[in-house]
Amino acid sequence: MEHLFTNLAAAFTGWMITLGLSPVWADIILLLVKWIIIITIITLNIIVLIWLERKVSAFFQERLGPNRLGPFGIFQTIADAIKLLTKEDIVPSAADKLIFKTAPMFFIVVAVMLYTVIPLGQGMEVINLNIGLLFFISIGSLSTIALLMAGWGSDNKWSLMGAVRSVAQMISYEIPLAFSLLGVVMISGSLNLQDIVAAQDNLWFIILQPIAFITYFIAATAELNRGPFDMPEAEQELTGGAYTEYTGMRWALFFLAEYTNLVAVSALMATVFLGGWQGPWLPSWLWIIIKTYGVILVFFWVKWTFPRIRMDQLMSFSWKVLVPVSLGNILLTGAGIYFCKWMGWC
Amino acid sequence: MNGQGLIKGLGITLKHFFQKEITEQYPDVMPELAPRFRGCLQFEFEKCIACGICVNSCPNDVLSFETEKSENSKKKKLLSYTIDFQYCMFCNLCVEGCPKDCLHFDHDFELSTFSRDDIKRVYLRPAEMDEEEEVETASMQDEQENKEQNKIEAMSKALQKNPAKILAQVLEQEEDIKILSELVQESEKTALKMAELLVKDKEKAAKVAAGFVTKEKKNRLQAEKGGEE
Amino acid sequence: MMQSDIYTVNVGPIHPSTHGGLHAEAVMDGEIIQDVIVHLGYVHRSVEKIAESKTYQQFVPYTARLDYLATNLPVLGYCQTVEKLLGIQVPERAEYIRVIMAELSRIASHQIAIAATGIDLGATTGLMYGMRDRERIMNIFEMTGGQRLLSSYIRIGGVAADIPKEFIPVVRSFAHDIPLMIDEYNGLMTGNEIWAARMQGVGILSLEDAVKYGVTGPNLRASGIAYDIRKAEPYGIYDRFDFDIPVGSRGDSLDRWKVRIEELRQSGRIIEQALDNLPEGEITARVPKVLKPEPGIEVYHRIESAKGELGYYIVSDGGKKPYRLHVRAPSFINLMVLPLVCRGGVFQDIITNIATLDPILGESDR
Ligand code: SF4
Ligand code: SF4
Repeated sequence: MEHLFTNLAAAFTGWMITLGLSPVWADIILLLVKWIIIITIITLNIIVLIWLERKVSAFFQERLGPNRLGPFGIFQTIADAIKLLTKEDIVPSAADKLIFKTAPMFFIVVAVMLYTVIPLGQGMEVINLNIGLLFFISIGSLSTIALLMAGWGSDNKWSLMGAVRSVAQMISYEIPLAFSLLGVVMISGSLNLQDIVAAQDNLWFIILQPIAFITYFIAATAELNRGPFDMPEAEQELTGGAYTEYTGMRWALFFLAEYTNLVAVSALMATVFLGGWQGPWLPSWLWIIIKTYGVILVFFWVKWTFPRIRMDQLMSFSWKVLVPVSLGNILLTGAGIYFCKWMGWC
Repeated sequence: MNGQGLIKGLGITLKHFFQKEITEQYPDVMPELAPRFRGCLQFEFEKCIACGICVNSCPNDVLSFETEKSENSKKKKLLSYTIDFQYCMFCNLCVEGCPKDCLHFDHDFELSTFSRDDIKRVYLRPAEMDEEEEVETASMQDEQENKEQNKIEAMSKALQKNPAKILAQVLEQEEDIKILSELVQESEKTALKMAELLVKDKEKAAKVAAGFVTKEKKNRLQAEKGGEE
Repeated sequence: MMQSDIYTVNVGPIHPSTHGGLHAEAVMDGEIIQDVIVHLGYVHRSVEKIAESKTYQQFVPYTARLDYLATNLPVLGYCQTVEKLLGIQVPERAEYIRVIMAELSRIASHQIAIAATGIDLGATTGLMYGMRDRERIMNIFEMTGGQRLLSSYIRIGGVAADIPKEFIPVVRSFAHDIPLMIDEYNGLMTGNEIWAARMQGVGILSLEDAVKYGVTGPNLRASGIAYDIRKAEPYGIYDRFDFDIPVGSRGDSLDRWKVRIEELRQSGRIIEQALDNLPEGEITARVPKVLKPEPGIEVYHRIESAKGELGYYIVSDGGKKPYRLHVRAPSFINLMVLPLVCRGGVFQDIITNIATLDPILGESDR
């Protein structure tokens, strides 16, 4: 079981080489196949995830959640997807059409790109980049542009307010986000995610870096636009923020991208802080799924408990609390590493 | 403060996560309704006396009815009763006002319809009610006839017993009264005829009585003549 | 120095957080509110004019539609006004039942305010908990009045029907559970740091301004004055009950929120006392079928509704219908301070302020 997927990939490449393809082409085709598989998994996973969030939020609120279609309402998301696909596509007449239309596509492309570097198991990743973590952070911050495009292109005050908020928020939270990961990088000594996983062989980084974990969790919530930091959307205030003018499939793409981001960030958290795919008994790819879902459930739990924070408080929280704390964490980690070396522990 | 509140909130939601859900499973499980619940207004045509109290007490002009003066009694005949339900605000004032309890609310709360026309409900007079009424009038006529017959019989008996007093109503001269009295006492047929007329039509009775008397007088005259001859 | 333009954002009339058809036009400078212009009238149904074309009894169901979240309170106010007009004495038992129903309505209204504030500030779960608890009151109304929301159970001269026998245990258990509910609201929302940050110091209404504007109800009490018509000028039998008036000190959103929560507890106390002392007897006075007050008299009667001082002013010309009826709607007057409390805050404060001022548009627009 453990090497199921890696063996499959190796067999696939081997088979293509026997067909007379050069190894380079075989690699490229393998990459394409990996992408297609990942996109399929993302889409299928999101169907489950949306259903799960609905169910979980319902349970928090003593409701039942979707329960009409299929056992426990599992097919509800599919029905919704069909509904969204068949809905009329409305583009506001005053909208900046090109920007308005490309924004959701941009958003989802950026979200899917995040999966390139996440190790989904032992030796299972699309590309084993040696700056994987940096890649993840930088690609992750690109989604701001998509939201800004959506807000600008809609030509709507609510959308623009949502977009401006999201830019301000993301820029502020990018810094503690990166800083809190820095401690991990310092300990593991690598930006390669597989190396980071390997470094957690004995001890998960959540134990070595608890402060970093908490600051990363908060900053990631803000990055993901999830409650209590869902400023760009803020249904109750901005009536949907940057997404106000979107309908049908375009809106669904945003929705999809948000969940894709959520899974990616949760997977990264599992990788960086929770030991990645490492774990006893079960195969590695199952472990990462379990850990990712665990983190996702915590995201759900937080969202469905807390009220939304105010914009100015959000900013000041980032600059006055998170940035200093994560900086302090770096200092502490550095001191700790020197102390260890001095003591001869590592 | 400093995060304790946040953690407490998380604890509360977590507690509810494992609690029983309170969602009502309508329409799979119909809700349990209180006995007084007001769903749909129902009308019972048979009981209504068309008094109009409900119409007057309704604040929103939901109710209206049509009546017709029936021929053989002063009672108004209810032809149709309309509940224009789209305006009803379920206030219960009509139900409380009705003296005959013909309005009541049932527990059917699924009142949506596909067209506005379906909301309005018109109760037409049921056909059985008209049939019933005919039978009723017929029997009433029978009864009246019976009553008259009884009266006539009583009258004829009274005539035979004490004719002078009764016949004074129709005849003026005492002589005539005496003659007719004798006649009535002699023949039951005459008595009955007189009685019937007396009950039904006094004027005619007077005429007929006069006729009887003149006829009798003639008879007697002829009898006297015959006797002389 | 960067030059910034002033722009307006229309919050409402169709907006998730305006509690009905409220239209608040926010004049903004960046994220800072310069002014808020309140546009009213989207729920105008000319209730006062309707009153002139209905008999006194027929108007009873309409009053429930003023404040449709605390239905028994506006009905109670109207019925007591007409009783004052005609000099009708309401039987004891009816008075006690009225108090119970009125306080239940107050709780229902406050619970909606709590739930709605929850969702307006993004705590969706708070909404569900508030609504869940209010559902029990709705069931009690259904049991007594036949309708869940607009039962028009209180009538001129008394109440429509006697309470069913399962009423007392149900209400008692509800009153008993109120402190538990409050604990939950406090745990989930009041005690939450984000919540406190969103509300503390937001929308400060000074006592002076509150009095100047004629603000009443929990909003006034949050500004620091213990003015409650149930105590200041007891109507019905309110002088027989022992309860406290919760007051705030700063007059900000958090105080308004806390006052409402505390009022739940006090209403629960009143209900418990009323249940203990509920006498046997008639439930309605002898009221003639057609009400014809003396011509030329006018009365004003006010009660403490869930939103503040709810007053009715009726002029009679001796006919079956009121010559003129005016409603002093607390929500209308309370809404007038919205620009005042919003100025200088950020955009999200408009939502907080609308939620904690707790207006009800059916009443303010009439
Ligand atoms: S319930 Fe009220 S509104 Fe409806 S028909 Fe009866 S009196 Fe009219
Ligand atoms: S009040 Fe009753 S009896 Fe009178 S008209 Fe109405 S339904 Fe008929």
